[in-house]
Amino acid sequence: MSFLETKHLLGLRGVSKNDLRTILDTARQFREILDRPVKKVPSLRGVTVVNLFFENSTRTRISFELAEKRLSADSVNFSSSASSLTKGESLLDTLKNIEAMKIDLVVVRHKGTGVPAFLAAHSDAIIINAGDGANEHPTQGLLDIFTMEKRLGSMEGKIVTIVGDVRHSRVARSNIWGLTTLGAKVRLCGPATLIPRNLSFFQEVGVEVIADVAKAVEGADAVIALRLQKERQEDSLLPTLREYRNFFGITAEVLDRAKSEVLIMHPGPINRGVEIDSIVADGPNSVILDQVTNGVAVRMAAMYLLSGGRADE
Amino acid sequence: MNKNYWFQNVRVFADNKLGAPQDFFVQDGVWVASVPNDAEKIDVHGSWLLPGLFALGVDFQEPIRDDIYRLKDGFEAMRRGGFCTALCESEANPLDDLHKLKASLDAYGASGLDFHFLGAISVGHEGKSLAEMLELASHGVVGFGDGNHLPSGLRFLRFALEYAGMTGLRCYFQPMERSLAGKGHVHEGHYADTLGMKGIPAQAETIAVHQILELSGWLQVPVHLKQITCAESLNLIRNARSRGVDVTCDVSIYHLMLDESCLFALDTHTHLRPPLRTAEDKEALWKGLEDGTVQAISCAHVPVLPQDKEVNFDDAVPGAVSLEIAFVALLAASQLRFADGLERLLGWLTDGPAKICNRPMATLRMGASSPFFLFDPSVKRVLRVSDFAGQVHNSPLLDTVQTGMVTGTFFAGQWRWNR
Repeated sequence: MSFLETKHLLGLRGVSKNDLRTILDTARQFREILDRPVKKVPSLRGVTVVNLFFENSTRTRISFELAEKRLSADSVNFSSSASSLTKGESLLDTLKNIEAMKIDLVVVRHKGTGVPAFLAAHSDAIIINAGDGANEHPTQGLLDIFTMEKRLGSMEGKIVTIVGDVRHSRVARSNIWGLTTLGAKVRLCGPATLIPRNLSFFQEVGVEVIADVAKAVEGADAVIALRLQKERQEDSLLPTLREYRNFFGITAEVLDRAKSEVLIMHPGPINRGVEIDSIVADGPNSVILDQVTNGVAVRMAAMYLLSGGRADE
Repeated sequence: MNKNYWFQNVRVFADNKLGAPQDFFVQDGVWVASVPNDAEKIDVHGSWLLPGLFALGVDFQEPIRDDIYRLKDGFEAMRRGGFCTALCESEANPLDDLHKLKASLDAYGASGLDFHFLGAISVGHEGKSLAEMLELASHGVVGFGDGNHLPSGLRFLRFALEYAGMTGLRCYFQPMERSLAGKGHVHEGHYADTLGMKGIPAQAETIAVHQILELSGWLQVPVHLKQITCAESLNLIRNARSRGVDVTCDVSIYHLMLDESCLFALDTHTHLRPPLRTAEDKEALWKGLEDGTVQAISCAHVPVLPQDKEVNFDDAVPGAVSLEIAFVALLAASQLRFADGLERLLGWLTDGPAKICNRPMATLRMGASSPFFLFDPSVKRVLRVSDFAGQVHNSPLLDTVQTGMVTGTFFAGQWRWNR
């Protein structure tokens, strides 16, 4: 039984402020555990988790696996090319097979928007979305917020600028929903071809678009540079990586326009010299590696709470 | 070093009207009220002094054969026609990166004339990869275009507009749906069918116009439609503008002067792209100018080597030169239609293009420095090969009788007589 209002973690859109707070506060306790010599707790002993990755992943999959091991869960991995499972029937068949194996919790990544929701609707297992299309990547959003809160305190009234390919980014969307629920202001910046055109739902939560990257980072408390997929150039959405870097890259010159204590973040993996220069990614404002460490704690918290446990039990 | 001039018996076009004969003094390039020291005295015997013209649609086809037509021939063509400003784009050498733009700025800047450039939308005008439009915009292009190529994929066109939209600059398109135009050479109408020639239906233009306007309205990116040729396109433009679409358009000199009926002569100089349309379309273009649907007349100046015109019609390279004779030819046509034909024509060849390109317009004002040219309305002549700059003369008006002549041009502080 979930200790959250939500049974699954399908996205951060619609997740209550209470649930967000509970996950983030619990993650803080797990984060402390990760600094201990013995990093393992028995919280999910007897719980079986399957990591169902229909899309390539390295760091997210490893992060989940590590979180499961730290919680003493039994975990199995399943990976498959999405091509053999594009039809709803196949997906349902996969799910039924998993259910037959008495799985408690499913971590799923798929290229299609809504696949985690589809699984949740047809299964008794707890579903955690590890990325569905360009829709959401809730644990990444949570770990980003966790990292920000650790440095900045409450996100209420804080300004977070997300720069890059927002149109195709599930990371951006999860951050938008999570941050705005916690009272932060979100700015988006990027080439017009990489910013969604229809923004009314984002504008309802106060999101604004600023075309000029220097203006977009002015006064921001945190800047998230999104990874630029090189395929965007082949898709005619961008002329060259050079022009992208010159007009939208987080460079030392851009950083000069921001607050001196601004946090620099990136979901990884980084294209150095494209969306962010090395001098910035490796500089004193960067919390990029903290994000990676915090990701394990946040995923531990999410799985733990959804499985009905409490960190202090 | 600037020289000072004293033009006598000149009728100055100022405050949108042609004045009575007067003296006109120029000191260091500026119109002044009294005779400057050391002024060169020039009696022009009632010639008109008119603001320098702005040429839209100039492509000197660089690098064309440099033994036959060089860049300086293009500059000379402008001077002979009273044009002091031009909007250029190049089919042969698309300005798709900063190096090419800088090279063009240097090469054209040496002329002393005022040139503006369109950056390419796509690399090589191929409609496959976006050009570095942000970079080009930050170095002075006034808009973007892919020459005569309209990207064939609507998805690419959408992203191109969306990307260009960040600059706030206008995108210029030659509306022509290539998949419908096919291998046509002329307007698909009675004349083409009578001669058994492959035609380009007007719908090849109107379909493209519709697509561009839909995308422009949706993405809110200003567009300019070059060389509109048919009535229905103008209706689409009027309708789009009434819906708030930021669209400007021009018509070319030859589409105002000629129609498909000249096909029977099979003169390769009338092989143009887009093709000459029907007489009704031609009338609609004049109407479009009159009611403001069309903002400007473009020169569509395209030099073609003589050997590329001295072939059968289908094989001729399309295009015509016009800078040398555009004003003269259009003035007669405009004055035939309108009592204020001169005033209107100057608007379509100065203010109109300047507004489209968001550049300051050339106006003659006391105390201001502005290019101008002298026009002698009394000269009657047959247009000869020697009237054209360089060794190209691919104009359908060659060997026709024209009234009036541009006798000299003043720009960059220097007075130059023609010939």
